[in-house]
Amino acid sequence: MKLDIGGEERFEASIDRIWSMVNDPAVLQRCIPGCKSMTETGPDQYKIELNLKVASVGGTMEGAIGLSEKTPPSRCRIQVEGAGTLGTGKGDAIFELREEGGQVVMKYEGTGDVGGLVAGVGQRILKGVAKHLIGKFFTAFRGEIQKAAA
Amino acid sequence: MSAAKGKFRYISSDRRVLEDRRFVVGKGNFVADIVRPNMKHVAVVFSPHPAARIVNIDASEALKMAGVHYVLTGDELAAATQPMPNGMPTPEVKRYPLAVGQARYVGEWVVAVVADTRALAEDAAEKVKVEYEPLPFVVDGKEAFKKESPPVHPAHGSNILLDKTFVWGDVEGDFAASPRKLSFSQKWGRSSTVPIETFGVIAEWDAWREVLDVWASIQMPKYADQIATAMRLPMNAVRVHQDVDVGGSYGVKRGIKQTVLVCYLSKKLNVPVRLIEDRLDNMRGGDAHGPERNFDVELAFDDNGIIRSMKMDALDNVGAYAGRSPFQLGKPIGAIVGPYKIKSVQYRAMAVTSNKTVQEAVRAFGQSPTNYTIERALDEVAWALNLDRLEVRRRNFIQPHEFPYLIPSGTSYDSGNYPGLVDKVVKQVDLDALYAERDRLRAEGLLAGVGIASCLEPSGGNSAFEPLLNRQNKTTTWMDSCRIAVDALGTVTATMHTTSAGQGHETLVATVVGEALEIDPEKIRISRAHTLDVMPSNSPVGSRMAIMLGGAAFHAANKLKRKMMTIAAHDLGVPLEDLVWDEGTMTSKKNPEQKRTWNEVVLIAHRHFYRMPEDMEPGLTAQHVMQVPNGGKLPTDDDRIQMYPCFSFEFHVVLMSIDPDIGKPVFRRYMIGHDCGTVINPKIVHGMTIGGIAHGIGAALLEEFAYDDEGQLLTQSFMDYLLPSAHEVPKIETVHQVTPSPLTVFGQKGSGESGYLGAPAVISSAVNDALHPLGIKMNSLPLKITKLGDAIAEARAKAGKEMKQ
Repeated sequence: MKLDIGGEERFEASIDRIWSMVNDPAVLQRCIPGCKSMTETGPDQYKIELNLKVASVGGTMEGAIGLSEKTPPSRCRIQVEGAGTLGTGKGDAIFELREEGGQVVMKYEGTGDVGGLVAGVGQRILKGVAKHLIGKFFTAFRGEIQKAAA
Repeated sequence: MSAAKGKFRYISSDRRVLEDRRFVVGKGNFVADIVRPNMKHVAVVFSPHPAARIVNIDASEALKMAGVHYVLTGDELAAATQPMPNGMPTPEVKRYPLAVGQARYVGEWVVAVVADTRALAEDAAEKVKVEYEPLPFVVDGKEAFKKESPPVHPAHGSNILLDKTFVWGDVEGDFAASPRKLSFSQKWGRSSTVPIETFGVIAEWDAWREVLDVWASIQMPKYADQIATAMRLPMNAVRVHQDVDVGGSYGVKRGIKQTVLVCYLSKKLNVPVRLIEDRLDNMRGGDAHGPERNFDVELAFDDNGIIRSMKMDALDNVGAYAGRSPFQLGKPIGAIVGPYKIKSVQYRAMAVTSNKTVQEAVRAFGQSPTNYTIERALDEVAWALNLDRLEVRRRNFIQPHEFPYLIPSGTSYDSGNYPGLVDKVVKQVDLDALYAERDRLRAEGLLAGVGIASCLEPSGGNSAFEPLLNRQNKTTTWMDSCRIAVDALGTVTATMHTTSAGQGHETLVATVVGEALEIDPEKIRISRAHTLDVMPSNSPVGSRMAIMLGGAAFHAANKLKRKMMTIAAHDLGVPLEDLVWDEGTMTSKKNPEQKRTWNEVVLIAHRHFYRMPEDMEPGLTAQHVMQVPNGGKLPTDDDRIQMYPCFSFEFHVVLMSIDPDIGKPVFRRYMIGHDCGTVINPKIVHGMTIGGIAHGIGAALLEEFAYDDEGQLLTQSFMDYLLPSAHEVPKIETVHQVTPSPLTVFGQKGSGESGYLGAPAVISSAVNDALHPLGIKMNSLPLKITKLGDAIAEARAKAGKEMKQ
């Protein structure tokens, strides 16, 4: 099933700092919910292992993340594809960074496509779960910004 | 031979159901209760894609786990077994228990894992890595019918399994001569019967005896034959234990792929192997899915509402493989005009494959969707002419004096009194008052509607639809058998030869044998033969067992009775005709002093052979193989066929209200008039009727295997696949009528399907009556709250706009 993903986040940091963080696999690994490992397989290509829990079902997923169409420090496309005990997942999103009133605004927009177990038993809560996972990502991401500042 | 009708000792009396005793105390013997030594367990890996090539299967991690014994792929299984039977002449649509090379629906079983426990097998299944390459897919039936749709089976070349047009009578002439015509389309959604117990099976190969033992939760015709064929074993090497209790079926306990899978594994690993589906296995990849059917109908009628001719197109989306599913378009041909005198019919039956779960048999084998559409046709005519819906039905009904009545498709209806039962229901429900109550609810601001629907229940099932849809298939009918033995101490054991899925067959046999022999049914032992010990029998399908097993038991009992009387007459030296039977004692009419008791005859037959008539076999056993009454012929060249022999009739009336703001439907009254001829056990008929209505309420309002555009099945658990509960099923009032069948031993007809046949039609009728003031109609089932709520909101918004203009 298809999902629309989109939103806007504001950070107290420089745009270059945010840009380098979202391009740092070590940061991403710490921020992506359930991420067990993230291994570089090529330029801007990573293998990723996730351990997730959605509703009453939990499981592991293996997949690949690719970054492309980069225009530092303002725009990047991120594509994710994975499969595992939870089913299959695909995501394709573009995020844009801009400076506004001393803050950095990150706007992201994309679509997801979920199949298998999660689509079958979790569809009614999937949107909520996606929102929750994205929220968790940004909470951790803000933590990383503070950690860097401290 | 048939019994004297209307004077029964045990038949029709409100006796307890023999099976109930063990079930209510939790002492049933279900497949999950059976434990074999050293038994291993199976879990499956399923496809997350609607269509995908299987690129690679890596089971190495799973096989490393302690307690994991084997990982089976489709390639290995397909090389060692025959494909499962295919009802249609479409040899390239091959089906195996596990996907071979390509997965064709979300939920299709791809890999099976064998381990010490089911939990361990599930954990190991999670470690199996399957690499897929997604392929184009199609989910909608009408799309799948198009030439350009991606074929589910490329080797077959298209998605069309069946496209056959039948013309019975002068359809074009009747259409040309009719002053009025109308057309409508509607769709029956994909739903199930949802037994409490999912499917389960144990297979145990004994290499030293060369016997494959099978215990299963099964309701599948020709089950042992299919196992033997798939496993390439002689049929006398397959022993299916038919005394396993089945926790509900209503058609869906087909189980053949599951069975072939565990049979292969048991033989391969030389251990007993068990597979019990969990609910998700069952809902997405088991045998749970029933018909999904698009109808396009044209009617020709006159100003009085008399329907002269009907053209019906029916397109079934049967999912990824063809089992018996296309035949669910065939059975309705035997009642294609319902209880109405429609002179001519054109029927186009289409079945297509799609990337959905495989369609299997569901209660009434395709008749309920068709009945929903026939009843809608009657409502449409009434609306078009502004006539009362019941009056239009009355004008079109076959009348009591017209039986046996031959319908255009070649089937003769045995008996019926449709107006009689309708009159009884109208009186009992007080139809005028019901309409007044509807109007009162409307005045309160609710949407309210009265629903009216008839239904015919074809019963005594045979397979005449098979040669009708597939001329290469010459099978027309199935038998059922019963054997009765009186042992040396005089007690009676009757053996039946099929499985039972909760329909009360032990009660049936005991009641019939008790009736024939005039002995207390509670004293009769009912035994169930395994398949190496069976007489020819089929399976409890097609609402047939009261007629077929009841008939076999009756005839066997009469043969036994005749043998006992022959022995008594010989021993007494009187003519057979001189003896009368009274509760097992045989007395001379001429000289009542002369008699032989039951026990005396038993002693002669078992021990005092020298008192037996010459040439008579000693012992007291009798058996009968029952043929479907009226059946057994091939279709004519112009596609006419005698389908099922007996036709029960039901008439449903409901009052429903719908909250216009949220779209929630509520039953205010539900009454069914029920006529299945002579009732053998009233408790069983009542349970079937009420349960069938609950089942129909589910299909009409709640239950649906819903897919999204990506081919994902969104309703796999009971959180999303909604079942009627005590809140949704109203009190159901019943009115009885008995119109015996002339074709059966007691006048009985079938009654396993009536509630399910009429409920969806009557609910649709009531909802459309309720929506009438808004000027809208609902054209598909299920009528979920969301669908109703949205349609009402849209209609009100439109009406609001129009008023403002």
